[in-house]
Parts: sequence; structure tokens; C-alpha cells
Amino acid sequence: MRIFSFHLMPYPGLPESYDGPAWVTCPNELFDPAVGQEIYNRYIDELVYAEELGFDGVCVNEHHQNAYGIMPSPNLIAAALARETNRMKIAVVGNALPLYDPPTRVAEEFAMIDNLSRGRLIAGFVVGGGPEYYSFSINPAHARERFAEAHDIILKAWTEPGPQEYIGKHYKLRFLNTWPRPVQQPHPEIWIPGAGSLETMEFVALHRYAYMGIPYFHRRVFERTFGMFRDACEREGYTADPLQSGWLTPIYVAETDEQARAEYESHFWYWVRKLLPGITITPPGYTSVRSLESQMKGAGTFAVNLQTWDEVVEGRYAIVGSPATVFRQLEDCISSFGTGNLLGLFQLGTLPAAETRRNLELFSSEVMPRLHERFPVGHPVLEPNASEGAA
Amino acid sequence: MSEIVTELVQTRVGKVQVRRGGPGGPDAPTVVYLHSATGEGEGLPLLTTLADTVDVVAPMFPGFGESEGIEQIDDMDDAVFHLLDLWDVLELDAPVVVGLSLGGWMAVELATRYPERVGRLVLVNAVGLYLPGAEIKDIFGRSPGEMAEDLFADQDHPIAAAMHAMDALSNDTTRSGEIPFDLVRPIFQTMAATARLGWDPYLHDPKLPKRLWRIDSPTLVVRATQDTLVPAAHAEYYASHIEGATLVELDHLAHLAPLEDPDRVAEVVVRFARGDA
Repeated sequence: MRIFSFHLMPYPGLPESYDGPAWVTCPNELFDPAVGQEIYNRYIDELVYAEELGFDGVCVNEHHQNAYGIMPSPNLIAAALARETNRMKIAVVGNALPLYDPPTRVAEEFAMIDNLSRGRLIAGFVVGGGPEYYSFSINPAHARERFAEAHDIILKAWTEPGPQEYIGKHYKLRFLNTWPRPVQQPHPEIWIPGAGSLETMEFVALHRYAYMGIPYFHRRVFERTFGMFRDACEREGYTADPLQSGWLTPIYVAETDEQARAEYESHFWYWVRKLLPGITITPPGYTSVRSLESQMKGAGTFAVNLQTWDEVVEGRYAIVGSPATVFRQLEDCISSFGTGNLLGLFQLGTLPAAETRRNLELFSSEVMPRLHERFPVGHPVLEPNASEGAA
Repeated sequence: MSEIVTELVQTRVGKVQVRRGGPGGPDAPTVVYLHSATGEGEGLPLLTTLADTVDVVAPMFPGFGESEGIEQIDDMDDAVFHLLDLWDVLELDAPVVVGLSLGGWMAVELATRYPERVGRLVLVNAVGLYLPGAEIKDIFGRSPGEMAEDLFADQDHPIAAAMHAMDALSNDTTRSGEIPFDLVRPIFQTMAATARLGWDPYLHDPKLPKRLWRIDSPTLVVRATQDTLVPAAHAEYYASHIEGATLVELDHLAHLAPLEDPDRVAEVVVRFARGDA
């Protein structure tokens, strides 16, 4: 399997007294540039460190007008990473295509990153979260159409000789002729993050891209989601490769289970109680009725509803403990999900720099080699009955 | 109370539901009722009350109720062409057109472009304008309970009470799974349909003010004084920019006045439809 270090770049300085949403209407007066200039540089250092520790890659993502993840342009961060690293993959998961007008911009910037990094980009395309449709005043009723058109434009720009023309419903480009072209041919590996919507899974299955299960649900919701994705691939007439799916989860490793929880728990609750509120706002028309019905089955288990640490552990909302515990829980989840990519969040909420580095070090030395050995690339990952046995 | 029958009518975008009732005959004016983003129509007391004296025609817009074809409607321009199509199918020449909120906006758009297809115009708490300093409150991101405060004067009205109950359920994380999907589905569908027309620009057409002069039908602007969703300035703007329009205020009622007091709204509409006021 491939293992990535994913950074949300959370804003750690929301005041104790603030109990509003972290999204859309979270007052930007709460952003302190004195904090900002420290954490941006610190967070990039944490991502760069992953290469030294042997990770297969790093992930960055795009969110706007919020305190949950202060990366409105993940491409800027990816450009910095391209210069500061040499080996590992740089996954931008992703660019919210409907927010770019014209989406030619994504084809250009991703190709730039692929050139800068000498062919290490993983290109993520995302419809964008619900809050983004409020923050950008983009009509959510057109989200899927715009996403599909933008995707076609980018692929056309990358794989067909220009100049050419693209005339769609939402974008009309008389001269499509992007410079530069990507290093990886015919195009970089493409990942699509999804939160369980059927349309997204069917789109990924059709194009044989990779589906990244977005948190933060109870493990049984993930089991269902990844099963639905495999079914969608079967309907397209093929069996999904494990590398076609990935699971994102918070991970924290310390010497013992007790120490891990003691060091980690308060930072996790900052993330749940300060940064998640507001993330679930769903603009009308953004999801089809059949997807909404399907997603509502898991909605009650979304992490924003968590109250106790026992719930966190039972639902595997975060994998926290000694190296042995973390390995066992990850092995158990991964083999029941069938996912060939693990995207670990090693910094979460207010987790400080020292703890984050030690977490990365312990994980990479004590857990990562065992996972690589346990789930070798090219071998099946799914073990349908794996989930019930282990605790 | 008169009987209301529902029929399915084939239009270019698909089959749409149309509710009809009334005495018929040459003396009864035809009144078309265009619903709000709430999608009111099924069992709406206003329709049965109106049908005692006028011929009521209440179409459900695509995406509302059982009406098909919303995927072919991208904006208000498409909406007006759908109404034009519907007028032809139903053989409506120039009926009295009553619109609540979103329906009022549609009625104005129709009347500016095809004034000859609107005999008389009644706008009830209509949206459609952007007035700096008098913005329409948000309808797309707020909870049902918050919305109820703007929509109803009486928070004990059964619909307002149900909206507050939904808030109570969703705020209780142990019970949020109990909200039945059948309750959520119509809200989700009507808001999705409304978003196609009014997400951006938000519930208005920037070109509308410069076109209002074209409306030549007698116009009644109705404003419920406790409507906190659409500020009073909107009714005042319509009344002062549509030639010869009259402004009527209904006290003790809020945005969904026709749901809260159908008799009082029907009385105003019927009197105007008959040309008495």
C-alpha cells in the first residue's frame, strides 16, 4: 500500500469563547497574521519532513473562508513542496473545479506543479464542499455539470493537441491551448475525493480514477462507502484495484496507549468542537435526492456529533495509541475497507509542532514498515470478514 | 367550499401539476396562483376559498410537487418561457396573476416581457429586487426554526410548530437520525428548484428595475407587515415603480400570509380580480 501524510493546515487560534461555525461566516477578524506566518511555515516543514521519514507522499487540499483548513490555494503549497522535496508524490486533493472560471487555470497550475516536481503530482479534482458554494456564490444546482465540464476541459487540454475549442453549457473556450503540458503522460494520476455521493463514485468508476473516502464517519459508514465504490466499478465491467481507493484518518502514535490519549485528546476535541461546526452545511441542489437519502443514513455518525472518547475509539474516528495498537487498528480497518492508499492526518486541531514531529517519527519507524509489509502493492487488501474480530 | 381538482398537463419541459376549481361561466374571472419557494398548493385553503367566486388555476412549477422538467430550467428566463408555454397549453389569454414571494417575482418577470398575457397583477410579499440596505434574508442556509420566525406571525401555526420541531430534532444528536426522509425530501427538492432560479444573483434580477415600466396591467402590491424575510422597501419599490400600482398592507401576518390567513388574502385578491379595488 501507499502511505501519505495529509495536512489540513488548521487554524489553531480560535478563542475559547467562540462557539460559532468555523465556515462561511466565521469572522475573519479571528485570523491573527502573527499566528498565520508561523503556522504556514511550520506546516510546510511538517509536510517536507515526511519525505525524510519515508512516506510515499503528502496531501494538501483546498478550502475557502474557514478556520478548518487555511489552504484556499493548495497549489501554492504544492509549489513550495515541489522545490523542497525530491522523491515523494505530491497529491493535491484537490482543486474544487467548479470554483475556477475558466477551469483552464487548473490544467495550467497542475501542469506547472508537475514540471516543477519533475513528475510527482497526483492531480485531485473535487466538486467542492457545501460551504464553498456559499462562500463563492456559485450555484450548487450547477455543481455537478460544472465539475463534469471542467474535468473534460482539463483532460482535453492535457491529452489532445492545441489549439482546440471547447464549447459547453457553462464554459465556452474558443482557444484551449494550455502551456505548460504535464510531465507525466498521458496525464498525472487522478484522485477524486468524495463524501459518499453516488454520482461521484460512478464518475470515478467510469474513468478508472481513484476514490478517496473523506472523513469523518463511523467505520461502518466507510465500509459501506468503499463497498459501494467497488460495486460501481463492477457495474463498469472491472474489479477495482486497491490503489483506486484511499482512506483518510487522524492518527496519533505515542509510546503507550495512555500516553497517546493524554497527549492527543484535547487537540482532537478542538478539531471536533471548533473546526468541524459548519462543515456539514448542504446547499440545495448540490446533491441528488438519491445521494442525499443514501448519505443521510451515515449523517448521524459524522464526527461533529461525537461526545465521548469511547465513541471516538469505537467508531475509529481517530487511530490513537501505542505503535502496536495503531498498527492493529489500521490493519483491521484497511482490510475491511479494501483501500490501497492510507492518508494519515498526523497533525490535527491544535496539536503542537513537537508532538506532531514525534508522531510522524514513531509512525514512520514503528508502524509504516509493518503496513507496507502487510499490504504489498499488487496484492488484494480486502478481507471481508476482517472487521468483526479485532478490537 | 369549492372542489379543487388536480390534473397533469403536458408542457415542453414535461408534465406539470395544475390545480383548478371555480364556478366557471363568463362572469368568473380566471385567477392564476403562482406559489412561493414553499411549493404550497396541495390542500391549500386559499385555493378552495378563491374557487368559491373565481376560476382558480394553480400550477406547480417544475421541481415542485410532482411537476417535471426542472433540469431544463436554469434561470428566470427559462421560467418565464415555461409560464408562456403553460399559458398557451391552458388557453389562458390574460388572466389575473397572483404570485407569492418567488411566484410574485415570476409574475413580474412575465408581466414585464409579455404584458399582454397578464390581465391584472397581484404581488404578495414578492421578491425579485435587490435594494441596498434592505436585503432579503437568507433562505438557503438557515434552519427551519429560524425560517419559521420570518415566515409566520404566529409561531403556534401548525407548520411553524413543525419547523421548530425539526430544529429540536436535528439539534439533539442522539435523535437526528429520527427525521424521516419523506419529510426532508420535499424541502430538499423545493429548495433545490429555488436555487436554480435564485441562488446567484440571490432572489433578484438586476435587470428587473429598468423593465418595470413595461407593466401596463392594473397592479396590486400586497405586503404583510410582519414579513421579516422581505423588507417593506421591496413592496414600496414595486408600488412606486409600476405605473398606477396600489399598495395594500395586511397587519398581523408575515411572509406566508396566504397560508396563515387564507380568507383575508382571498378577500383582497377577489375584490381586485373583479375590478372593485
